[in-house]
Amino acid sequence: MRNDNSSREDDRQVISLLMRGGLDKRKGENVLFGRYAYFIREGTRKFGLSEEDAFSAYSDSVLAAVDKIRNEAFKGESSLKTWLYQIFRNKCVDLFRRNSTDKNSINRAQSISEQLLYISDKARSIVQQLIEKADWRLLKERLNGLSDDCRRMLLLWADNHSDREIAAELGFKTADVAKTSRLRCLEKLRRVYNTR
Amino acid sequence: MDSLDYIDHYFERQPSSEEARQFEKRVREDPEFADNVAYYLSTRIALKEMQAGEKEKQFREIYDQMVSQSNHVAAPAKTRLMNTRIWLSALAAAALIAVVVFCWSLFGGSGRGPELAGRYISQNLEEMSVQMGKTDSIQTGLILYNERKYPEALRQFEAILRSDSTNRSALLNAGIVSLKMGDYDKALSFFKNLAVRTDPHLSPALFYQALTLMKRNRSGDTALAKQLLRQIVEQNGNKKEDAMQFLRKM
Repeated sequence: MRNDNSSREDDRQVISLLMRGGLDKRKGENVLFGRYAYFIREGTRKFGLSEEDAFSAYSDSVLAAVDKIRNEAFKGESSLKTWLYQIFRNKCVDLFRRNSTDKNSINRAQSISEQLLYISDKARSIVQQLIEKADWRLLKERLNGLSDDCRRMLLLWADNHSDREIAAELGFKTADVAKTSRLRCLEKLRRVYNTR
Repeated sequence: MDSLDYIDHYFERQPSSEEARQFEKRVREDPEFADNVAYYLSTRIALKEMQAGEKEKQFREIYDQMVSQSNHVAAPAKTRLMNTRIWLSALAAAALIAVVVFCWSLFGGSGRGPELAGRYISQNLEEMSVQMGKTDSIQTGLILYNERKYPEALRQFEAILRSDSTNRSALLNAGIVSLKMGDYDKALSFFKNLAVRTDPHLSPALFYQALTLMKRNRSGDTALAKQLLRQIVEQNGNKKEDAMQFLRKM
């Protein structure tokens, strides 16, 4: 039986990969996914989900965990396994309760509230109402229509890469140059999105 | 400051209370600005959804690969049947373990580890399954292995691991080649590395660790191998039948 110390050491290795960003982050995600992929079976067994839904809940849980780790929201009070299982269980319960296969609608509501954390109630409701009116299909269509460089840069940004990491990964001289390019891409997207 | 730049600056770091107050005032009083904030956040959410879709595809490949390496994954429709089977297997395993532990406490180890492991290796690891028509670097390594070019095969798998140290197929095959070459310490290192990255129900990493320990047969190796084999049986892990056979014979 593997002891607690070696499990903590494994946790530290994964966290270190995820924090490094770039290729290491991708490796860390894959390691984390593979290590506890047997949760998927738990999802079918304990929560009565189809394998597809349990897989989807588990994938989302891993991605949510990665975001939280990178934002230093994982304090290490429990093992990574226990913590990830809690996230997974909540996702399964959400899926089961809502009896919905449109997981985007579930995740999107969560994403919106996360993004609005830094805005107080009055202003938040104004922005939230505007976000809910967004034409998601068109926005994604326009995103796909951007140049490869722009799209890649924005995807890295949405994946919580800092401008310094984006600069390193895409070969910009400095973080400031990466930031300027990123904002230009956002501006370009806004123009094409607004020409509906 | 340009509106998008200002919004980005606000969300990219934790704002002070004064910054937050001014920002929120603008959201309330300037509809165009509020629209820009909504656009900025919607774009981020849409990108995150696209990103998640891409990663889900990547995870699906990993999962499918894990499933294809195992015969222990049940179809969803068989879940209830599997539950009963798992319980029955667990009960049978517990009974078997009790018998094995009892016999072991009476007669002690028989010292047959190296012989059993050698026989298993020659019966099961002489040839690896190669996928016809597929010519990736793993397949090249497997072809070299089947041609008994073990050092070359090992170099091939190690080259894959240099660019992707978590590649499970490369870890497994590098371990098997090392075992075949008699470099047991190296084989153990590959299998241990594989074990921490994979689910014991799907991966044979624990079994191959036990097999390597049996073959190496240093002081304490047999006891450790038995411990791993029992773990496989208890957890209904990959290669459980082989583990049970070893436990019966050791």
